[in-house]
Amino acid sequence: MSEVNIQPKMLNCKINGVQLSVKEGSTIIQAMYENQQKIAHYCWHPGLSIAGVCRLCMVEVAGNPRLQIACNTTVTEGMDINNTSPKVIEATKWGLDFHLINHPLDCPVCDQAGECGLQDQYMEFGQYNSEMAEPKTKKNKVVDLGPTIVLDSERCILCSRCVRFTDEVSKTNELGIFSRGDHAEIGTHAGKKLDNKYSLNTVDICPVGALTSKDFRFRQRAWYLKDAETICNGCSTGCSTKVYFNKEGLFRVKPKHNEAVNGYWMCDEGRNTYKFVNKESRLLKSYQFKNGAWGHEATAGAAAKNLIETMKSAKPNEIALVLTGQQTVEEYTAIVEMFVNGLKSKNIFHWNNNESTANDFDGLLIRGDKNPNTKGLIQILNQNGISAKWSELESQLTSGSIKQLIVVGPENIPVYTDIESKLNLFSKAEHLIYLSSASLPQWENVKSLKHVTVIPLKSYVEKNGTFINHAGLSQKFNKVTTVVNEALTVSEFAQIVSGNDLKIENLSENSLFMPTNQRADQVTLEHRKKNEFVFNRGQF
Amino acid sequence: MFQLSNDAKQKVLTELKRYESKQSAVLPALYIGQKENKGHITPDVIRELSKLMEIPESQINEVFTFYTMYNKTGIGKNHIQICRTLSCMLNGSNELTEHICNELHVKLGEVSKDGNFTVTEAECLGSCGTAPMMQISKQDGSARYYENLTNESAMNILRGLK
Amino acid sequence: MSTVAETKYLSEFYHLPEFKNLDGYKNNGGYVQLHKALKMQPQEIIDLVKASGLRGRGGAGFPTGMKWGFLPKNNEPRYLLCNADEGEPGTFKDRMMMEKAPHQLIEGMIISSFAIGSKKSYIYVRGEYDDSINALEIAIAEAYKAGFLGKNILGSGFDHDMDVYRGAGAYICGEETGMISSLEGLKGQPKLKPPFPAIQGYLKKPTIVNNVETLAAVKYILRDGAATYRKYGTEKSAGTKLFSLSGNIMKPGNYEVPLAFPLKDMIYGLGGGMKPSRKLKAVIPGGSSAPVLTAEEAEKALLDYESLAQMGTMLGSGAIIVIDDSKCMVECLANLMHFYHHESCGQCTPCREGTGWLDKITTSILSGRGRMSDIELLLKVADNMKGKTICALSDAAALPVLSFVPKFRDEFEYYVREGKSKVKGVTYKTPSYMSAGAH
Repeated sequence: MSEVNIQPKMLNCKINGVQLSVKEGSTIIQAMYENQQKIAHYCWHPGLSIAGVCRLCMVEVAGNPRLQIACNTTVTEGMDINNTSPKVIEATKWGLDFHLINHPLDCPVCDQAGECGLQDQYMEFGQYNSEMAEPKTKKNKVVDLGPTIVLDSERCILCSRCVRFTDEVSKTNELGIFSRGDHAEIGTHAGKKLDNKYSLNTVDICPVGALTSKDFRFRQRAWYLKDAETICNGCSTGCSTKVYFNKEGLFRVKPKHNEAVNGYWMCDEGRNTYKFVNKESRLLKSYQFKNGAWGHEATAGAAAKNLIETMKSAKPNEIALVLTGQQTVEEYTAIVEMFVNGLKSKNIFHWNNNESTANDFDGLLIRGDKNPNTKGLIQILNQNGISAKWSELESQLTSGSIKQLIVVGPENIPVYTDIESKLNLFSKAEHLIYLSSASLPQWENVKSLKHVTVIPLKSYVEKNGTFINHAGLSQKFNKVTTVVNEALTVSEFAQIVSGNDLKIENLSENSLFMPTNQRADQVTLEHRKKNEFVFNRGQF
Repeated sequence: MFQLSNDAKQKVLTELKRYESKQSAVLPALYIGQKENKGHITPDVIRELSKLMEIPESQINEVFTFYTMYNKTGIGKNHIQICRTLSCMLNGSNELTEHICNELHVKLGEVSKDGNFTVTEAECLGSCGTAPMMQISKQDGSARYYENLTNESAMNILRGLK
Repeated sequence: MSTVAETKYLSEFYHLPEFKNLDGYKNNGGYVQLHKALKMQPQEIIDLVKASGLRGRGGAGFPTGMKWGFLPKNNEPRYLLCNADEGEPGTFKDRMMMEKAPHQLIEGMIISSFAIGSKKSYIYVRGEYDDSINALEIAIAEAYKAGFLGKNILGSGFDHDMDVYRGAGAYICGEETGMISSLEGLKGQPKLKPPFPAIQGYLKKPTIVNNVETLAAVKYILRDGAATYRKYGTEKSAGTKLFSLSGNIMKPGNYEVPLAFPLKDMIYGLGGGMKPSRKLKAVIPGGSSAPVLTAEEAEKALLDYESLAQMGTMLGSGAIIVIDDSKCMVECLANLMHFYHHESCGQCTPCREGTGWLDKITTSILSGRGRMSDIELLLKVADNMKGKTICALSDAAALPVLSFVPKFRDEFEYYVREGKSKVKGVTYKTPSYMSAGAH
């Protein structure tokens, strides 16, 4: 199919005195966003249909005495638009006041505080002295909407984003706005739950604290968290995400807009990927199972160093390597190179946990291959001419020909339902060297352990790297933070086992140049900038 | 558990085909459901309609809660709606409402002890030239206007309904 | 005053009970114009309606012919919807027309549908109008039987189907796009414009929405021609109009008069004047959303679009609500604010929150809890609701405030200061019949 490249027609317009050229068909709000102009709004969301109900994005178009809403007004040639005239400013102020008169103003106990659209926009555009003296309208609070979300109707500003999401994106239609006027409330029909695989997106797009995530609420104040971008490792879609963390660990994952992959959304399952990064579920030290018992605690580096001699003396047909689609392209390159060039062995195998469902797709984002980098692994294996079948590994292990088996185990254990049977299989090797970021209670159930060395690995947020998604799109991501200091990346492991010392580049700039009293994962005042209450409070 | 009668189901199916779009049948279907359920709609009625019409419950519930003619709670055999808007107010609708409520020993929205009456206020019913007025609906949905009322004439009408 | 009389043009035969039935209607000139119309070119009818100066009788007064002209000039299916969701407080003319002359509306609609090329029309009647719905359903069945509806009407090759749709209690469905939403089986929430209904209306197809009285008038324009129709009224406000007269008046009712009819003749002539020993205090001339006129203004007012606009109010739906000197303007305004609060669809924030706020402030003044600053606040809130929303309900709620408060400020100030009405004999008490949860 040949792609016809049609250049969109451009229109000239003026926004707040700045001459701009915008794509034909753009609305004013799109034009303003693309050109970094500030405009208040709640109901408009680029990933949803236009509702035009919050009436905040008022603009003045020269020649039209009536203010227009920017979200439903298309730019025409020569249009002269502003949202800085006293008329617009007054309208916006009152627009915000209308939003707030029945709002409970319970910011001190509201989970959204610090990242709330009402707070942010009120500090930016509000009128600061509300004249509302009447009793506020009472609505339902702490409504259990479903397994993931709690609703506070008094905080809700009825922007209808969440309803449009369930109608238009998840197409699950659970939500509605019931009743009318200022008695209207978001809700599900009696007995129905808001329960779909994308439900938590409604929390992200809720501009206020009406919808909060059961998983996150009351766990951290938004301003005690830093955020950083990464790629979700929950499946082969590879959604762009932001993870929120501090020195206590990771607290949540949200989607980051990426038109090429996930648009504005991500699935609920992907948001759980932070959980196996935190210390509670991590392997923190190296241990060995020897002579019938676990022990020999050591640091990861020391444990890897101990393997140098073993690996040097290993015969190519007595060693094997098992890889999953959970590591980065760079790591595959390093360890495969060590095997193929250093140890002269092509005895490398792909542990595929979901072969039968790998091509499943729900039509939106969720894919059956629960590995972020299966394509990357296959690419590196192919480049090195490796095509060994899993059954060969099985027969080699059964026949006892393998002396040293290195397994780079998965991070996302819940999607590896075959983990126990695989550990049983791997344990047939004379010496199993199992690299993993996860601490595995499953070892308890493995029947005949011989000699096992477990070495802690870094998780996906603790390293730089590349994932290649289901469509072959190669996405680089940077290290977010460090959770387990001494854990190794697979590349570092390969380097140490090959007898080389770790190079200084492997240490992040942050850890080198941070002030001595601070840590890379420490949230400092500058990270609280999003909380307008801290910064824009004005002078007393 | 509420169940639509076969007759009602048939009527709903007819409405589904009657209009240019299937969704248009939601308002008429709610009337049918209300009639089947003694004059008001419960979550079960909506669940039934949703199944039959293959329209999400939330959408039917949105419609149900938006319009005033679908009753949210149970009503008496006679649902008295007294118009309260300006022209009727100017002609004594407040006093009429108070009189009727006192005589029937009910407050607005309640069902009288004998189950015969529910009194509510309604916004303008389009009978301003014959104010004050009330509309009396039965549980089957049939309704009638009573106009040019006085406290006495209204009570006479209501006594006649018992 | 004794010379003041109605001009019974549309309502000529309303006194005949049989006019409701097909035979009675036919015996009095019914369906003659349909025969004539079907032999004309559709564009001729549109041009005729344009030339007649007919304007929408529902409230906005938009020129009907021009509205029809907005339809795309192609073969796309299109709908004619008759707005019979009469809900503007004070208005009860459409109800009379549908009950007394359903065929008049049906004939007007078939002719109009032929003119705009619509094969399907709906009459959206407010759910409370049981008698209107019954009358229309019977009349439509009669019209089908007589071959005025259905396939190949009167051998013209024109097909047309008509149906009645029952509303379910929402003032906002009188707004044309709210009505379209409701007809689509949704909440009656007005739709964002653009696109306008003539381009994308019912089921996203081109749609014309006209009021009952507007569509009924089409037949008479066809019968008498534009020039004769224009003999009634003024250059810009042509024709006759049905006015609904209510409130504190001797003879309330519907009266048909030419546009530009003096309001004082309506009140003191046709309406029989004020009740004994009562004086006129105020008049709302065009349904509850129209700004109120003082007694002095009412003396001078003429009932046409331009004259009333000049006085800062509007003709609206032609509902005249008369208020005499025994009534309290604070209470009247509070009554209307309760109405708009109850009827706001809740979609746009300024209206949803603003109508509730206005209701709460006026109620708090009524109950003696008002603050002097509330009077200014009422004006500020109303001013900021105006022109800020998808539909005109927000403006409709704001306009009474913006006229009641300045024109009767002394009553508001007295009420706040003294905690009671300035008008003798008016006392407000929290109604005893309210249950705790009742709204």
